[in-house]
Amino acid sequence: MSPQTVPPPALARLPSGIAGLDTITGGGFVLGGLYLIRGAPGAGKTILTNQVCFHNASQGGRAIFVTLLAENHARMLDNLRGLSFFDEKRIPDQVTYLSAYAEGHNGGLSAVVKLVRREIQHRRATVLVIDGLVTPQISAGSEQVYKEFVHDLQEIALATNCTVFLTTNANEEVTPEQTMVDGIVLLTDRTYGWQAASDLQIKKFRSSAFLRGRHSYKITDGGIEVFPRIEALYAHPSAGAEAVFGRVSTGMERLDSMTGGGLPAASTTMVMGPSGIGKTTLGLHFVSRSSQEERGLVFSFYETPARLRAKIAQIEPGLLPLIDSGIVEMLWQTPTSDLLDAYGYRLLEAVHRRQVKRLFIDGLTAFQKGSIDPARIGNFFAALTNELRVLGVTTVYSLELPDMLAAHPRAPVDDASNVAENMILMQYVERQAELHRLISVLKLRDSDFDNSIHEFSVTQSGLRINETNATAVDLLRSNDHDGATNRFERAAATDLPPQHEG
Amino acid sequence: MATVLIVEDEIGIGGLLEDVLLDEGHSVLIASNGRQALDLVAKDRPDLILTDYMMPVMDGATFMKALADQPSFADIPVLVMSSLPEEVVAERCPGYAQFIRKPFSIFEVIDIVQSLTRTSDGESEAIP
Repeated sequence: MSPQTVPPPALARLPSGIAGLDTITGGGFVLGGLYLIRGAPGAGKTILTNQVCFHNASQGGRAIFVTLLAENHARMLDNLRGLSFFDEKRIPDQVTYLSAYAEGHNGGLSAVVKLVRREIQHRRATVLVIDGLVTPQISAGSEQVYKEFVHDLQEIALATNCTVFLTTNANEEVTPEQTMVDGIVLLTDRTYGWQAASDLQIKKFRSSAFLRGRHSYKITDGGIEVFPRIEALYAHPSAGAEAVFGRVSTGMERLDSMTGGGLPAASTTMVMGPSGIGKTTLGLHFVSRSSQEERGLVFSFYETPARLRAKIAQIEPGLLPLIDSGIVEMLWQTPTSDLLDAYGYRLLEAVHRRQVKRLFIDGLTAFQKGSIDPARIGNFFAALTNELRVLGVTTVYSLELPDMLAAHPRAPVDDASNVAENMILMQYVERQAELHRLISVLKLRDSDFDNSIHEFSVTQSGLRINETNATAVDLLRSNDHDGATNRFERAAATDLPPQHEG
Repeated sequence: MATVLIVEDEIGIGGLLEDVLLDEGHSVLIASNGRQALDLVAKDRPDLILTDYMMPVMDGATFMKALADQPSFADIPVLVMSSLPEEVVAERCPGYAQFIRKPFSIFEVIDIVQSLTRTSDGESEAIP
């Protein structure tokens, strides 16, 4: 390797303590760097920078938080006390709050610079926050003086190896400090109709690659929680893609037979059907085959844990001891209560934590509801399912179809083939004022399958699929007189290529 | 306390060093290139020189050669500051006392200045 191609040594980092943010920046802020935290009032700039201070203190560092307005520090501390990262014991030895208002007022920006440098030196500080750049911007009087102020701070940061954060309001204008600092973090709060969502974006980050684009965040009792966009983080799956072969039982003998021995291992299967048809029951049958070697996870949105447990007790009682012994975990979240990426992280964390191999996601549409921007959904699911495949997880999703008696069902997700390699359709048909249930396999990864349609029923002990398709043939023959479905119509309607017959 | 000459074309670094050394109780002279520095050395004879290597008008290497050529100034200890590796600087600069790589730690600079000003009254630590 020639000297020109030797990569420079990686610069040491200062982790923010905010896991998602450190993921986005590739390990944290550069030690001795100068960073701008921009955002509208209320976006969380003060919380974020305080969180960094306390995290750094917890790692043995020392932080100084400087305000430039005649601000009441006691009020600020009162506001921070409710947040779990706040640790009163670290104040004032490791986290110090200072006001530079008097220095700035009497001696101008050069006096502020001098104060900051002396305090860093004296306290051997590793983090410095200057909260509110608007004051120096106004008091500078000229752009040149203001630039010199920022430049001086940069020199101090570098010479003391103290990482410096400046907070400022966000606006469209490109201000001088933006061109000078080592990195810019932009916090944005947006409203969509009645909903509000916050996102964080790294606009600039010297010395390192970072995950570009917007990433969701929320302010919780724990401080700022950042969720890197799943599709950005898992653009390349985390582990080497090892091919997993074999079949995984659906938990139903007849369905295993229709799929040629079960679902392909480490594949994703979408079970589509209208409300109440038995999708959750099918998923519970699938998870009931979990074992110590093949741990299961039910990730559900709509049915509460108590309701789901009661259902399990009735239709699949063998699943209860698996849940009680920890072989199967039930994770429930209320739909619409969280962000798309938050759901994704919770799911992947549970899969990693217990090395789950059988996963049932009950209510795919809840993911869609968690997304402010529907355009993201396709890429989100593609990245999520790729990661699950690589982890060797066999996944079954349930997806509710909006029309109860649709002759031409349409999957309410874009680019459905991104989400699922296998598709199972559950339908109601009405005959002589009576509803019947039908099930068919529409698509199966690299496999032959039984493409006949079978009638099934939901009984006290779960789904029962008829051995033959004779009753389904009868039902559909009579329906065909009304111009109802056949395999090619259904395939076209679900955005899938028509499957070969036989 | 000592009189320290800072030779630095980057005003931010020069200003920072000036502030720090003043706080440490030293007297400080400032030059932004080797030419200005030679004039100040002739006029005020500092106890210690901190010099950058790459500067306009007269660079650090030329400045140090000019200093070495004048026996009355050759014993002033010099701390060279550069973003280049020391071996590159050592080839071109005669007899400097200490080298510090940029970006430097201000704490390290204070320690070096302290040790050089302590010895500058007695024996120099200059590299032969």
